[in-house]
Amino acid sequence: MKAGMRQKLAREPFAEKIRKVAQLIRLAKTFPRRPRFPHGK
Amino acid sequence: MATNEPSDSLPLADVLRAANDLLTAGLIEDWALGGALAAIYYVEPFTTYDADIFFIPKDKSLTAGIPAIYAHLQAQGWEVEGEHLLVRGFPVQFLAASGLTEEAVREAERIDYEGVPAKVFRAEHIVAIAASVGRTRDKARIEQLLQQADLDQSRLEGILQRHKLKLPKS
Repeated sequence: MKAGMRQKLAREPFAEKIRKVAQLIRLAKTFPRRPRFPHGK
Repeated sequence: MATNEPSDSLPLADVLRAANDLLTAGLIEDWALGGALAAIYYVEPFTTYDADIFFIPKDKSLTAGIPAIYAHLQAQGWEVEGEHLLVRGFPVQFLAASGLTEEAVREAERIDYEGVPAKVFRAEHIVAIAASVGRTRDKARIEQLLQQADLDQSRLEGILQRHKLKLPKS
């Protein structure tokens, strides 16, 4: 993401940012990251 | 009694109300939101799985009154899971403040979050606390705050000097 976009997100109202954090948590729980090397290689 | 049904949204207002309730009950002297959620007040949103509430204990014993605090919140309907309190399914940790974190609580910014009065650590204190901890993710937090928050440089330098801290080299 470009720095300008990050800065714009940083300037959003706190309540809006908290709503986005909740969305990020839901996404992370729905699509958990898988290890790149599942067998520890 | 508080409603403790798991929430789809992040129940920050309930968390802040619970902290205010401890103040009203006379169990703590003061409190403020710290950790990742405090950082998010100043920077772009990112994933975090708990809330850190720093409090100045009234009980100056070794336990800082934590058992009484958890017992009080459990009586209000919140659940305890390990070191966390679950507020509508969202883990919250109550941490006794001292030294740098106590200063951060005392000088925290007063905010209103969805009608709930609260305090949040100032960006300069979040940077100083991250510098004092020094893990990789703390260095990333410092970098993010330096780039995105409107830091008061003289306040930051004062905090770093008072607590004999230095920012990591980028």
